[in-house]
Amino acid sequence: MAISHEFSYEKPASLGSALALLTRYQGQAKILAGATDLAVQLKEGTVTPQCLIDIKGLSELDTLAFQEGQLVIGANVTFQALVHSDLVRRELPMLGESALTVASIGVRNRATIAGNICSAVPSLDSAPVLLVYDAVVVVTSERGTREVPITDWFKAPRRTALAADELVVEIRIPVPAVRHRGVYVKLGRYRGEDLAQAGVGVMVTEQNEYKVAFNAVGPVPLRSAKLEALLRGRTLDDALLKQARAEVPSEISPITDIRASREYRIHMCQVMLERALRAATGLLAGKSIDVEHLV
Amino acid sequence: MENYRNIGKPEVRIDGREKVSGAAIYTADLDFGPNLLHAHVVGSTEASAEIVSIDFEEALKVDGVLHVFTARDFPNYQFGLYMKDRYIFAQDKVRFHGEQVAAVVARCPKAAKKAAELVKVTYKKLPQVLDQMEALKEDAVLIHPDLENYEHVPWFFPKAKTNIAHWRKVRKGNTEQGFAQADFILEDSYHVPRYAHCAIEPHCAIGKFDLSGRLTVWATSQSPHTQRHIFAEALAPLGITHHDVRVIAPHVGGGFGGKAGVTMEILAAALATKCKGDPVKVQWSREQDFYNTYQRLGVVTNLKIGVKNNGKITALHHRINWDAGAYVEYGANVVNAVGLSAIGPYNIDNVSIDSVCIYTNLPPGGAYRGFGYSEFLFGLESHITRIAKHLGIDEVEMRKINGIKEGDTTAYSARMNPSGLHEAIEKVANEIEWGKKETSKDPNKVIGKGFSLFWKAPAMPPNASSSAFIKFNEDASLNILVSGMDIGQGYLTVMAQIAGEILGIPTHKIRTENPDTDRNPYEWQTVASHITWSCGNAVKKAAIDAREQIFDLVERTHHLHRETLYLEDEKVKCTQSASFELPLSDFVINGIQVEDGTFKGGPIIGRGVFMPEFSSTNADPETSQGGHPNVHYTVGAGAITLEIDKETGKMRILKVVEAVDVGKALNPSLVEGQLTGGLMQGLATVMFEDMRYDANGRLLNPNFTDYKLPTAKDIPDEVIPIIIEVPQPDGPFGARGVGEHTMLPAAPMVANAVEDALGVRIREMPITAEKIALAYKAKMEQSSKDG
Repeated sequence: MAISHEFSYEKPASLGSALALLTRYQGQAKILAGATDLAVQLKEGTVTPQCLIDIKGLSELDTLAFQEGQLVIGANVTFQALVHSDLVRRELPMLGESALTVASIGVRNRATIAGNICSAVPSLDSAPVLLVYDAVVVVTSERGTREVPITDWFKAPRRTALAADELVVEIRIPVPAVRHRGVYVKLGRYRGEDLAQAGVGVMVTEQNEYKVAFNAVGPVPLRSAKLEALLRGRTLDDALLKQARAEVPSEISPITDIRASREYRIHMCQVMLERALRAATGLLAGKSIDVEHLV
Repeated sequence: MENYRNIGKPEVRIDGREKVSGAAIYTADLDFGPNLLHAHVVGSTEASAEIVSIDFEEALKVDGVLHVFTARDFPNYQFGLYMKDRYIFAQDKVRFHGEQVAAVVARCPKAAKKAAELVKVTYKKLPQVLDQMEALKEDAVLIHPDLENYEHVPWFFPKAKTNIAHWRKVRKGNTEQGFAQADFILEDSYHVPRYAHCAIEPHCAIGKFDLSGRLTVWATSQSPHTQRHIFAEALAPLGITHHDVRVIAPHVGGGFGGKAGVTMEILAAALATKCKGDPVKVQWSREQDFYNTYQRLGVVTNLKIGVKNNGKITALHHRINWDAGAYVEYGANVVNAVGLSAIGPYNIDNVSIDSVCIYTNLPPGGAYRGFGYSEFLFGLESHITRIAKHLGIDEVEMRKINGIKEGDTTAYSARMNPSGLHEAIEKVANEIEWGKKETSKDPNKVIGKGFSLFWKAPAMPPNASSSAFIKFNEDASLNILVSGMDIGQGYLTVMAQIAGEILGIPTHKIRTENPDTDRNPYEWQTVASHITWSCGNAVKKAAIDAREQIFDLVERTHHLHRETLYLEDEKVKCTQSASFELPLSDFVINGIQVEDGTFKGGPIIGRGVFMPEFSSTNADPETSQGGHPNVHYTVGAGAITLEIDKETGKMRILKVVEAVDVGKALNPSLVEGQLTGGLMQGLATVMFEDMRYDANGRLLNPNFTDYKLPTAKDIPDEVIPIIIEVPQPDGPFGARGVGEHTMLPAAPMVANAVEDALGVRIREMPITAEKIALAYKAKMEQSSKDG
């Protein structure tokens, strides 16, 4: 399908000129990285920018490294790069496993995790892992650089803390010093590529610290303070899991839409929370668990 | 058993290499040069509204835009396959969301799209009806107030001043008595939503009205000749006749019924007539393919079956209410076909069927693989299982007790053709290990088994025909000229196998090409799973015609009795003379030289025609008794082993088995392909696909983001296709149709397996994980309440 509206295309050679373009267009420019969302929106006419700023040539955004206890993911790093990275598999397997649930191979080859959090749809698969590990988003503009905790990033569906003249440079994920394991469970309508009907991410440390996040069950992905408080310091057993399941409905606010009913989403968040917690603790205990097929 | 050379062999597809290597040219690939014009269609944003005005002044100002066309350019040009109820552009009112209202023609797709966005259409909303049960009510708004004036085939019975476009009634025996004799009666309703074909290739058509007044249309097509006929009829006000129209159909990237008849192709044909000299291309997007071609009709049924305690069915009443959409010119025949056959593959004495075609303000319903049979079989085969359970009879046994046999009578009292139904039941039951309970290793999961029978007849006019030419080339290779379409089933290859068998030519030396209605002889349509049977008969006759010409010539020149001649290995041979071997390549073009130096014969060209001369739709409209509307039924059985996660409702198909009586598998590997592919398509409609509309009749999921087609990750662990061969007496080498049937048992066997595993009965398709999980959860909550 043709794109019917006119726009200019810029491929800046430096980060500085990219930021200058963002300043100049005052919100009328769109960043092009993977363009897997953007190209569709352009064809459908749901976005009509005056300019596309292609950042794929900026090598300073290609970083994928472990620095000072943090995993640093540049804005140009694709999901497929995360899936295939030995570093990610070693330091933060939940990140690679979450990346594997995103769309299809073709899309993952182009789409970036930074672009994913900028699209900020409620169902985004990268949110739970970033939330449970307390990631930080580094953004920059001609006005300067700032760090936004992921918990402050998502403001509303498709709206983030990013200002019109700002560019995401990288995402930093602090990797806990103690032994830990995170698990993301995604509910899709089938095994093929799908947007999450609902998703649960958990992280458990050997000290029985628990982090719990949900996606696709509210306007923005969220962390559950209540569930974390309930679980903190305790060893999982059937009674505790039953209690945790009972807390789920008050922690999320799913809607009924074409992808699932509110009722099914709540029910499945309970099921997935239990399975994710069991899987994460099982993995910590050295068990072999197929995290790809928990539901 | 005949000793065939080509027939019954798993020959490689003759179009296979071309397709898998990317060499094959599809309609959208055709190059028309720099003068090609592009049309962008403006679709209605209302489901039911009066068109107050169309303002396209701004659109015409866009650089590269040549014209904007509307209904004013084609006033009251009505068309349709079985009932002329649709228009080239919406006339004074729109009847579904997305209906074509105007088209911009421009020099490039971008300008056309940009201009289309500037066309301002003002609507005045009219009352709408999106649900067929609402449309049936007495005070419902009339979608076609002029229904009684529409031309239609004689076997349709529209009800004037209602939304009922056709009502097929079948009455056999005495249902009142039948139900009175019953020990048990089960009555319930079943719902099936609409579905989309989702062929990988979206619709595309290019029309060219040349300076001599010749109209050529290149189209993604299952029916080039029928399209030519409809174009000629629709454009008759312009003075266009059949003689002026030519349809060329390149390779098709999947049809499934969606490219039968005429939908968007009319736009390419009509717009071309206004742009004389230049080709005009209409390329549907995926979204348009969803909402403005045909869709599978939605269904609400009410089914009542009476049985004796021994399992024998005494009476059946089947009321089937079809959501046929805004235009039913094709869809009404789905309704008709099901009316005649909604008894299923059973021998039942007392039958009453009402199959009712109802207009709604949703997109037009039309042909879809299975032609309505999947829809009614969902309820019928669910019902059989439920009744058997109630009676305490094994459900497979119940199906054997009532299953139809050769010579039994159908609902319209014709005799049933030879059938391997009972063999199929046996083989499927054995393969699925029916009666053996299986348990999952995972405590969250349970395993159930489901069974279903199916049948289907081709739905076609009684005089639907096929024809074929066969011509020899110098090297004794063949060109077969036919007008069916290879929509994946392997038709081109099978026609080559048939001709090759008769003429002693290997399949790889035979070309069967896609049709051009100017060059290729008539074919009705590639629908109804009739093409192997019908066109196969025509090809066989053409091959026999060519063979007889060869024998005539050899008899005349070599003085051998024709009864002693036969064809083998590209040679004429003689049963009486082992040394006589005359290569076909010696004479099939240039004739045979005789003693005096002259030549006899000339190019060998065979001709064959097939029409089912025994078929008739002349029947009592109140009972459907008296005619012979269906040529034969293809039957079979399927079964499934389904593992279900009790908490999530997620299903995994451990094994699925399907047996179908194809009469004769002309090419067993192609039949297995149909069995496997059809099953996958059927299972997709059960487990994932679902068209959803909002309150304004707008399709919410015209995309693969929310209309889910299963992927390679979702296929069953094991698929077992079983071929049964009880020959069809009038089929080529005993073959009968198989293409559509393979998806038919999917829905009921899944529903039956879900009940077997979890004790919950789902009566509304699709049967998603969500529905199962919530139904099971409700059941468990209820039983814990009941204590």
